[in-house]
Amino acid sequence: MTAKGSTSAAPLGAADLRASTQITSREELWTIVVITVQLALALLIVHAFQLESRTFFHVMVLAAVGFPFHALLPARLRLPMFALLSLASIVVAFGARDGFFLIMLGLVLIGLCHLPVPMAVRVPLLLVTAALFAVWRMELLPAPWSVAIWPILASMFMFRLALYLHALKHDGQRPTPARTLAYFFMLPNTCFPLFPVVDYTTFTNTYFDRGATQIYETGMRWIARGLFHLILYRFVYLHLAGDPTALHTLGDLVQFLLATFLLYLRVSGQFHLITGTLHLFGFRLPETHHLYYLSSSFTDFWRRINIYWKDFMMKLVYYPSYFWWRRWGGTTAIVAATITVFLLTWLLHSYQWFWLRGGFPLAPQDGLFWAILAVLVVQGSLRELKQPRRRTLGRGPAWSASLAVRTVATFTVICVLWSLWSTESVAAWLMIWLAAGNVAPGDLWLLGVLVLGGLLVAGRAWSVHPTPDASPHPFYRRPTLQSTALLVGLLVVGTTDLYAWSSPRLAAVVASLQRSTLSARDAALKHRGYYENLDNASRMSANLWSVQAARPRHWVGLSSTAAWRRRDDFLGGDLQPGARIVFNDQPLTVNRWGMRDRDRALEKPKHTYRIAVLGPSHVMGSAVADGDTFSDALERRLNREADQKSTIRYEVLNFGVAGFSLVQQLAMLEERALQFRPDAVFITDSSGLNGPILPHLINVVASRTTIPYPELEAIIGQTGVRALAGDGVPAPFHSVRSLLNAAGVRTRMPFHEANHRLRLSIDDVRRWTLRRLAEVTRQHGAVPVFVALDNVLESPAVHRGVLEEAAAAGFIVFNLLDVWQGREKDSLRIGAWDDHPNAAGYRVVAEHLVTLMQQSRAELRLTEGLRDVPGSP
Amino acid sequence: MDTHEIETAVREFILQEFLPGEDPAQLTSTLPLITGRILDSLATLKLVAFLEDTYGFEFAAHEVSAANLDTIELIGSFVAVRRQK
Repeated sequence: MTAKGSTSAAPLGAADLRASTQITSREELWTIVVITVQLALALLIVHAFQLESRTFFHVMVLAAVGFPFHALLPARLRLPMFALLSLASIVVAFGARDGFFLIMLGLVLIGLCHLPVPMAVRVPLLLVTAALFAVWRMELLPAPWSVAIWPILASMFMFRLALYLHALKHDGQRPTPARTLAYFFMLPNTCFPLFPVVDYTTFTNTYFDRGATQIYETGMRWIARGLFHLILYRFVYLHLAGDPTALHTLGDLVQFLLATFLLYLRVSGQFHLITGTLHLFGFRLPETHHLYYLSSSFTDFWRRINIYWKDFMMKLVYYPSYFWWRRWGGTTAIVAATITVFLLTWLLHSYQWFWLRGGFPLAPQDGLFWAILAVLVVQGSLRELKQPRRRTLGRGPAWSASLAVRTVATFTVICVLWSLWSTESVAAWLMIWLAAGNVAPGDLWLLGVLVLGGLLVAGRAWSVHPTPDASPHPFYRRPTLQSTALLVGLLVVGTTDLYAWSSPRLAAVVASLQRSTLSARDAALKHRGYYENLDNASRMSANLWSVQAARPRHWVGLSSTAAWRRRDDFLGGDLQPGARIVFNDQPLTVNRWGMRDRDRALEKPKHTYRIAVLGPSHVMGSAVADGDTFSDALERRLNREADQKSTIRYEVLNFGVAGFSLVQQLAMLEERALQFRPDAVFITDSSGLNGPILPHLINVVASRTTIPYPELEAIIGQTGVRALAGDGVPAPFHSVRSLLNAAGVRTRMPFHEANHRLRLSIDDVRRWTLRRLAEVTRQHGAVPVFVALDNVLESPAVHRGVLEEAAAAGFIVFNLLDVWQGREKDSLRIGAWDDHPNAAGYRVVAEHLVTLMQQSRAELRLTEGLRDVPGSP
Repeated sequence: MDTHEIETAVREFILQEFLPGEDPAQLTSTLPLITGRILDSLATLKLVAFLEDTYGFEFAAHEVSAANLDTIELIGSFVAVRRQK
């Protein structure tokens, strides 16, 4: 490790300090103006890229407006003003009522810290109060405030209370009310539940301890850096971080490992924004991260990543543990203290998630991650005790091979460990390594380029700073210029109209970063969440969590209601005939045939063109009332538009069932829909139609349900997933199961492995199902139509050849995948947490279907009936 | 033993133990050692052990902090005060 050196002037004496924090010169005033303009640029970037939340934008506006006033205030008024601004931001974010309660609950905690009783009494009182708060957090007791206040209130107090108490006990200075309020309610905390653990002593000691403009310039540089990190994060999240269950090649695996670690950019971006904003109000806090991707050892990594957490642990855990254990020797003390730190980090991580998201996750992969990291850090510490690492005060060599190799090796191991921490389970993590054995052309080149690039970058000692001399920085290294250049650069990049004509692909990629959307993986998880409880709140990405958190508690999947009928056959379940419930706020009625439809006669009336519509939830009409599904809208539309001279009437029968996969639509078609002798069969599915097939077939195999299709049975049999259907202990990999079986231990394939194996044959399953659907439909004299329709998504999904496959299978293809583009999507979907179309959305679908039916009149054998409608969409 | 003597002894220890071969003139009294990432936790504990052995007092856990040990100047002041207790 090399010395940072002092990049700024030495600390000032008290009198000089007071003088230097006042803005007296024209140059300093000009700096205030420049920084205010930079803040305006930052706000434009936040708006252009829709970064973080609306609350974040409002808080940044408050900071940007408050900064110049604050900077021009007399020094003695600044801290009170910052405290007031912080309290105001709480009201802005939560509204008057919840804001009031949040502040009051916080004041209760602060009051307990200052009770005129010994610390031995105060601490238990605080613990009891925290326990009461936890009961409220779990909503076990009614409260006059919204549950939404808890993540922010908790992030303000759950760790800072301990540091505050420590300072009360050991620091000489008694805190002032303004400083205490500023410390706990600090402005940026209102919009960031994940917040660096700011140390109270540091918070106090670094307050305007340098020249004011110098602090402000550093803050602005960090804000610019934070925005850059957040935009980079979005690129990684949307375009690089894939689904761990969909890794096929070594290249996929390498990309997944890299991207998973790079997702941490969101945390470092937020923390830069937070500490940068605090700098604008005089709090010259240290950096929260320091080039953590360039750690040359695991102890180095621990020291560079989330430095505030490391310092928090050092102060409250490591040093007290060390001093307690050192009666057994220094080495024992260091090992014991380090292990204690990592154990507590694991537990406190779960404690934190309890407050932020509910639940108390203690997943095995979390424990494994921290345990392995602890072992690596302990090893590193013991090595450093014997052989201290080299330090230098000046500039080291330009490039070091040893440093390069150590850094790349450390980075690689950290990526592997991080992937363990991020996957759903240890079993799921083991499955990703199956992709390593499949080396696609170009994978080795990719690996080579990454390693070589990594070595080139990592061999340079980036932390070295030359000792300051009297000469000023060259103009291009001045902080103000650097941060302005970065901000302007981000704005230019965000203005895609400037270069879309010459680089349309780049413009499209940048445009994709300018919306807060879910990645393909998270969108699939969200879709899964319509049918099952996603109880892994702590493992969700922040993006998915923010969507899930908006979901009303009564918003459940169909299988949790009385309208669902579980079956022990290949269908797995369907709608309960005669059910009448309220499903997600809307009446849902099931007729005697098990259809979400009005009552229908089995016998087709004369002069009736009958359409049987099959599909999942957006056919059934999740969260819309009876009569508002797209089948209903289509029937009304068709009959309204029917040629007045025609005697043909239309019936559109809704056989949709939420959660139904393509294979279940086949079973429903053969069991029920064809009995109604439809003239056309609309098989409706989204572009992500593989998604529901996998879990359905895995459930079928696991429950040993008979698959009534020999060809499908053959495809599944070839994957080897029949080993899932056992009573034994789940053991990954065939070789391991064989060994255990030989030793007399009964085993079965784990679900994750079955999912992986089946996924490799999913294309065959899909193509077979499409062919079978079309064949069976035609055999019964009906016309097969494939309707490609997604929920109301922000951007159209990737087709992946589904439309071509459907056409090749013999379907008429109605492509509605772009139906939502160019429309105000919020007015056409149920809500932020539920992308299903609402009634208005389904009317749009019906309009499009009518147009497509008109265009395919001959294929649909509509000899009469539909008249041309001018100006159709 | 005055503060200046303490600072000299501490400077020599740090140079010998952690910065062998470095220019002593660059190790000023106000150079940040902990916040400047010259001394990490292990090095800080070694420094603590040196101070305890040399000046005959014991640190409390909360005294191992940048407020007391970040610069040679701060170390000198802290040791001088502790020795008087």
